[in-house]
Parts: sequence; structure tokens; C-alpha cells
Amino acid sequence: MIVEKFLELERINYSYYDKIPALCDVSLGLKQGERFAVIGANGSGKSTLLQIMNGLIHQSEGAFFFRDKEISEKTLKNKSLLRYFRERVGYVFQDSDVQLFCPTVLDELLYGPLQLEINEKEALDRAFEVMQILNIENLKDRPSYMLSGGEKKRVAIGSVLTMNPEVLLLDEPTNGLDPRTQCFVVELMLALSEAGKTLVIATHDLSLVDELHARVALLSENHRIETVGPSEEVLTDTELLLKVNLIHEHMHSHGEAPHKHRHSHYFSHKH
Amino acid sequence: MKNKIPLFLLERPAPESFARSEGVLKMPFIEKGIHHLADVIKTGYIQWETASKDDFFQKIDARVKILFLLFYVVIVSLKRDIAAQVVIGAFVFILALISRLNIVAIYKRVLFWGFIFGFLVALPSAFNIITQGEILVPILRLSKHYSFWIYHVPEEIGITKQGMLGVVMLTLRVMNSLALSFLVSFTTPFPEIMRALLMLKVPDTFVIILTLSYKYIFMFAKTVEDIHLAKKSRLASRVSNAEARRWIAGRFAFIFKKTQLRCEEIFKAMVGRGFSDNIRLHGFRQFTSRDWSTGIVLCLIGALLLWI
Repeated sequence: MIVEKFLELERINYSYYDKIPALCDVSLGLKQGERFAVIGANGSGKSTLLQIMNGLIHQSEGAFFFRDKEISEKTLKNKSLLRYFRERVGYVFQDSDVQLFCPTVLDELLYGPLQLEINEKEALDRAFEVMQILNIENLKDRPSYMLSGGEKKRVAIGSVLTMNPEVLLLDEPTNGLDPRTQCFVVELMLALSEAGKTLVIATHDLSLVDELHARVALLSENHRIETVGPSEEVLTDTELLLKVNLIHEHMHSHGEAPHKHRHSHYFSHKH
Repeated sequence: MKNKIPLFLLERPAPESFARSEGVLKMPFIEKGIHHLADVIKTGYIQWETASKDDFFQKIDARVKILFLLFYVVIVSLKRDIAAQVVIGAFVFILALISRLNIVAIYKRVLFWGFIFGFLVALPSAFNIITQGEILVPILRLSKHYSFWIYHVPEEIGITKQGMLGVVMLTLRVMNSLALSFLVSFTTPFPEIMRALLMLKVPDTFVIILTLSYKYIFMFAKTVEDIHLAKKSRLASRVSNAEARRWIAGRFAFIFKKTQLRCEEIFKAMVGRGFSDNIRLHGFRQFTSRDWSTGIVLCLIGALLLWI
């Protein structure tokens, strides 16, 4: 039986300005409906990897397949493949500011469906339903620069949800959000996952990865995949996390005695 | 949350949609333009990288290079014969060569801008309507000559030898000035140039404007590139050029406002860290014997070029 490649990256290499390496020899395979997290320190290449997975930038070497179809600069010039790919893979940017480029929140939510040539009535229905689950109905006529950080993130997620993609790529989805909004985003991700969506997140927030019970790919600071495995396995391997700079040695005092231990803001550590 | 998920999000896309439309996408003109704008960042990076190398001109103090640039641009403007311009051009070329700069990249720009601002601008003066003289290339013969106000249109119109020499002269001057500027900018990191300008008593306000403008260009290019990527991620088909133009027109003011706000934030951050109109510098580099000797040699060569 031939197994369809859902999301497959084969020996991907990418460098900025043809000089600064961002990804070296990255190979990954994702299954439909799974929760997957790419973790790594700042500058390890997480965002670059997600952008390649969304066909926004293209690998200098290697191959990327979505449902057995190769996605590259050349193949995405095919109109039907471009449409096929875009309606199935959505990307939520780390910086919501760059993602919100339409005059109002409602325009933002309608932009994607209208691009997919969904009729206006259905697009509007989708927009209102998404506004409802994201609690942003009261913001519909506001321009994006009049929104708070949390509101921008909700609108950014909503702008992709109205396209109803199969795969959601989320770059640092909880970064810079207050605890309540963070909690909301996590719940939303879990609900979307239960609804059958494939979630791929790039983050260095280890507690988020733990909450999602995601399969994890760990990127090292030399832009290579260090390991791939279940979150319970990867997040408890302190040696490995220390090696890729996701946790650090932390010194503080217990009474009079200075004390040093590994610190990740994720583990509950013992003294 | 699960109960709230709208029904449309549970729908799967139709499998046949892959074959719905055919054809190949061509990169629209506007998109190419955005790519070129994004190249500003790449150029900036390459410039920074070449300027940080440890080669001949890169090692020289920025003050020497700024004074060299000013002195040689004056020489280029003063020299009135083609041979001297060729000698200056060759000298700058040798300097670029021993500084191991990317000669092709630099001279491609020099030729392009030299052609536009030198050759094309001066070309009309090659005709005998503007510059009288011996006609080298006859273009048109009229039945009679015409005179009105201060203008005189002769019977035979053509390119004169004197006019052509003037065009070549101006083109060479523009090209030499450009080559000098590129030589200095590609061998000196931007902050060093600003520092040198300050030390040469250029007013602080002017340097701040230059610094913020430089930063603004990169932020603007980065914002445009990022927004373009965000748009691309939600585009499922080719957008016509007219549609792209409408989008650009609508978004341009928005992007401008966005980058302006970012710039204001940066200025606030500067004020927040104690900035008050004056730029205070640290770590003044002492002139080394290499700086002195290179400065003197460049000065002597300049004087020689003025004299010949």
C-alpha cells in the first residue's frame, strides 16, 4: 500500500541572502490531524521552517511535499496547485501587525474567503461565526492599528480560520499575550485540533508544547533537527534542552547558601 | 470551546478542487517591484559585509575616506580634459580592486546611473542646436535655417564633435563621482560614516536625519516584504496588475503610517535613554600610521591629478 505523504520535508536547506544559514538538512514528516511543535532557541530557524511549509519562501536545497505534491517556487506557479495549497494550509504570523493589512477587522476576515472565490454571503457568514468564537464581534469595524496586542492576535487567527485550512501553521502563537488571552489561544488550538485540523506551532514556550501534548521537533542553534519525538520525551531530556539553549543553569540562594540548578520555566524542579 | 467551533471549520475541502483551474502563473510586475524593494535589505547586508572586511580601503579610518571622497569629487569637477578623467577613473578602479570589492556589482551600478544621469541628461547638448561646431554625425537636413528668440536651428542638424566631447566629459564626471561614492560606502560601515561626519563637525541634526532615514529605509523595506508575505499566504490565485495596483495604492499610506509609527517609537526609545539633540560618541579611534600615510599618499596623488 502506498502511503500518501501529508506534509513531508526532505533534506531542506535555506540561507538568508545566500550567506546566513537558517536551516541545514532538515527532514520531517507530519501526519494529518496531528499536533506538531517546532521548538528551538531564538534564531534556530523555526519561523523560516514554517514559512517554507507555507510556500512563502522556498528551500535552496531539498524538497517539500504536501499530500504528495511537491511545493516549490516552480510548482506554485501552477494556478491550480497554488489554490489547492493555499486553501489547505494557513499561516498565522508571529507579528500580527504584518498580517493585518486590510482597512477593518471585517475586511481582514473576508479577505481570504473572497480570494478563494467563496460567495459573499458564505464569506460573511464565516466571518461572523469566527468573530463569535474569537469574541471580537465588537471590533468588526475597527482598523487594525486601533487594536490591542491580544485583539490583533485574535483577528490574525480569525483571518486564517475563515479560509478553513486543513493545516494551521502558528508562529509563536502565545508570544507577548496576557495569561487570559494565552489560555484562550491554547483552548482554541485544542478545539481546532479536535475538529480535525493539523496544527504546527513554532515556539520556545515549553509549557505550551506540554499543554498541547504535541509531537516535537527540536531545532538546534546550528539550524539542524536535533531530535523528533513526543513532548513527554523531549521536554524531560534536560541534557538535550540544555545543549540547544532552551534551558539554562540558574543560580539563586536558599537562605545563606547559593544554589545552582537547571532552569526551564517549564519543569517543576527539586531542591 | 469545542461546542463553539463553527460547522464550516469541520468541513473538508473538496478533493477535486486541485483540477479546477489550469494555467501557469507569471510573476506580476508589481510583485517584482516588491521583490526589488526587499532586495534593499540584502544590499544593505552585503554592503555591511564588504565594509567589515579586512582589506586595503576598509582598514583606513572613516575620516580619511570622507575627506578623500570630498577632495576627489572636487578634483573630478575641476578637471576639464577627458584623459584626466580616465586617469582618475582608473585610479578609483585600482583602489576598488585592491580592496577586493565586487567589481562587477559596483561598476554595473556606476554604468547604469552614469548612463542615466550623465549620458542621457547631457545627450541633447551634443547636437549643433545647443553646441556649435564641426558636425560628426549628420541627422537631419531642413530646407532652411530657423531663428527665434535666442535659439538658432541650422539647416543641417547633427551631432558635433565639441558637443560629443562635452557629453563624454559629463558622463565620465558622473561615473567617477559615483565610483568614488561607492568605493567609500562599500568599504565603510554606515555608523562609521556617520561618526566621521560628526567628527568633521557636520551638525548633529543633519547626522540624526541621515541615521534615522537610513534606518527608516530598511524598516520600510522589511515591513513591505513582511506584509507582502502575509498577503501571499492568503492569496489563492493570480491577482491582475490592476488589482495589485489598487491594493498597493490602498496599502501604501497604511504601510507608510505603520513604519512612521515604528520610527516614532524608536525616537521615543532614544529619548527614553537620555537623547537630547546631541549625539555623544564613544571610543574615538586614534589615527594610526597607516591612516596618516594613506591620507598623505592620497592627498599627493590628488594634487598631482590637479596639476597634470
